[in-house]
Amino acid sequence: MKLMRQAKFYPVLYMFVVTAAFSTVVIGFSSLTRERVAANERLAFERAVVAVLPGLYETGLRSAQIHQRFVEQVSEPDASSGDAFTLRKGGQVVAYALPFEGQGFWAPIRGVIGTAADKRTVTGIAFYEQAETPGLGAEITQPAFRDQFKGKVLAREGKPINLRRPGTALGENDVYAVTGATQTSTRLEAIVNRALNEWQSQMGSDKAQSGPYSLTKSLGPISSSDPGKQEAGQ
Amino acid sequence: MSPNGAPTGPRAIAIQGLWRDNPIFRQVLGICSTLAVTNLVMNTVVMCAALVFTVSLSAATVSVLRNYTPRNIRMMVETLIIAFYVIIVDVLLGAYWPSMRANLGPYVGLIITNCIVMGRCEAYGNSHPPGGAFLDGFFNALGYSFILLIVATFREILGMGSFLGMPMPFFGGPAWDKWIIMVMPPGAFFMLGIVVWVFRSIQQSREEPKK
Repeated sequence: MKLMRQAKFYPVLYMFVVTAAFSTVVIGFSSLTRERVAANERLAFERAVVAVLPGLYETGLRSAQIHQRFVEQVSEPDASSGDAFTLRKGGQVVAYALPFEGQGFWAPIRGVIGTAADKRTVTGIAFYEQAETPGLGAEITQPAFRDQFKGKVLAREGKPINLRRPGTALGENDVYAVTGATQTSTRLEAIVNRALNEWQSQMGSDKAQSGPYSLTKSLGPISSSDPGKQEAGQ
Repeated sequence: MSPNGAPTGPRAIAIQGLWRDNPIFRQVLGICSTLAVTNLVMNTVVMCAALVFTVSLSAATVSVLRNYTPRNIRMMVETLIIAFYVIIVDVLLGAYWPSMRANLGPYVGLIITNCIVMGRCEAYGNSHPPGGAFLDGFFNALGYSFILLIVATFREILGMGSFLGMPMPFFGGPAWDKWIIMVMPPGAFFMLGIVVWVFRSIQQSREEPKK
């Protein structure tokens, strides 16, 4: 043993053995909990969907209840709803929940925005994955920010929703951005608008009655690329 | 007493870690997490539990391997061992308490770079038997924890008007204008500064009569 420890290769060998031993335990450990982690992620998504659909969410709901409500009342996306999950009552769509995702300031932001049956009145917004700066960008997950969206009406032209500088006058599709988190706010605005524009153009085909808007609708995605350009210059 | 002046008896180790060489107010180590996770008492409790687990077990593990580890690669091995325990904590939180993991954000992972952990492995685990190393890590982490809990208690009560999420009388009511700055990082700077000042003053006033 002593002879071996004096050998030149000993530290290399030692490091290999120790690393292999500890890694094995960690890998075993994480594969044991993998299913649970996946279920937690799925539940976080379901919670966000339930949170943005009207009348489904109450504070203090337990995970099992969230899952039950999701399974029983929320329909998966189909041809008539594009990418959006739907809440139906007697076969009629009452509300839509559109998932969105994109790159935030640090890591991807994933969330869900809900609209009423008219596809324009916002019923809520929720996030199920984000890693923005705690206390600044992460404020987007707080009720103070999210509650602003309720009742807003998405614009037919240009950007469906705008995040404005706090203190300015708000229109029917404007909410206040998060102070001190310009990057998060501009990115979030672009992410949400891109998802909404895509969804609107998906839904556009079965909306023949909205003739006057078809032109502006098709222009929508073009204007939504603006925030992206502004970001690059920041 | 061992060659480098570190205590070996359980009582001496406890006094050293909790008070005389307290990692926060004496050595001023591990400050990043002190500032980051002390805005809510609950987050702090979990963070402290994670640190107690990591420091005591990694110091003990380093100590078990101390006679086999070549000196020139000992820091690599220490980092590996620390990362091992931190990943276990992270995986456990992800599986059983995902909301807490989301609250603590990157700070669980950052325990790996917490100076206290490596500090104890280097200063004690490396040169003492496993039992003592475990105790040393344990009491140092407790020394860290109680200061963090003091900071967190003041920050949550003054900044949010609650304690462990429960509204407090007076502070939770309309009469108390919540100090938002206390839940933001600058609030931690002020609180930590005050706590270090108070504890050092107590320490000094106790030591002076002996001289």
